[in-house]
Amino acid sequence: MKNLRWILPSLAFALFAPGCILTSGQILIDFDLPNITASSSTGVVGEQIDLSNDSDYKDHKDDVKAIADYAVLGKFHNTGATDVDVEVWMTRDLTTLTSAGAVTGAGLKVWGPLKVPAGGTVTVDWDTSAKMFTAAGKQALLDEAKGDGNFTLYAVGAAGTYSFDVDNGVIALVIDFGI
Amino acid sequence: MRRIVLLVSVALLVATTAAQAGPIGLGVGAFGGLSWPILQDDVSNGSVFGVRVPVKALSMLTFEGYYEKSSLGDAEEEIGGVTYTREGFDHTGIGVNAVFGSGGLGAGFYPYVGIGSHQLTRTGTEDIKDTAWNFGLGYGIKAGAKLSVQIRGELNMIVTGDTSRKFGNATAGLTYSLMP
Repeated sequence: MKNLRWILPSLAFALFAPGCILTSGQILIDFDLPNITASSSTGVVGEQIDLSNDSDYKDHKDDVKAIADYAVLGKFHNTGATDVDVEVWMTRDLTTLTSAGAVTGAGLKVWGPLKVPAGGTVTVDWDTSAKMFTAAGKQALLDEAKGDGNFTLYAVGAAGTYSFDVDNGVIALVIDFGI
Repeated sequence: MRRIVLLVSVALLVATTAAQAGPIGLGVGAFGGLSWPILQDDVSNGSVFGVRVPVKALSMLTFEGYYEKSSLGDAEEEIGGVTYTREGFDHTGIGVNAVFGSGGLGAGFYPYVGIGSHQLTRTGTEDIKDTAWNFGLGYGIKAGAKLSVQIRGELNMIVTGDTSRKFGNATAGLTYSLMP
């Protein structure tokens, strides 16, 4: 038993050392998106995101290890006459693209498709939304979280003629910080 | 997972072998309690229950195989003025604890450490299946010749790369001594 008395203090020291796996946490950060209108005829408007605007992210930016959970939330209202598959695309810089073609040409698909029937409204919950992220989108968001934290999100229709609004839009990220 | 099962098997084999040469002890127990996520915004507390098989290897050391299952609660977060709910994890784990002192078969305080293979699953998140470490303190109360009540507080830490998912567990259970 004599040797055992050193085991627990040694283990505790190793685990509580700064930056170790024990001193980590999964912290939610979220960004409100303005009410968005997207239309195949009048174009799209991007939302520029600067993760540094969130104080938790700003305080622990250098400690980002992974993103544990993702969600695009909000109320999607199809104002067009045909069903629309809504997708969220991302450019990895701050951009001001105005057409869906320019967005899909320069960016990468992060989320979707979310089918919204003609004239209908779909409110996306967290569980549903988490399933709709693409692997490339997850990786890109992680790269941005570890990088400069600046990127732009666009909501577009997957194809055809469309027109929709997004109200109370939010992007939520649960970031794995090694505190 | 295979590595953990192998480790558990080896530990129990060593314990059984050692028990044959020393003070013999073998028991079986069941427990239940509460599990609290630590520093996790996307899940809330839930219930935990499971079984243990303590094998006394030395007078002051017991190896204890365990299986546990926890249903963690949904997280509720107000985002942009709207309350959103995120499904909690289903948490399962199998492993072995090294229990010191009275060793979970008897009475009194005892510390323990352990290792296991734990899995967290929920909708929309890739399954987390990693090595977990347990650190805890228990207290045993004799409730008859063969029966004891075991009360424990435990930190359970699932290592996910450079970070971890941590849970504080408070449990109470009954252990029945099969040997001696």
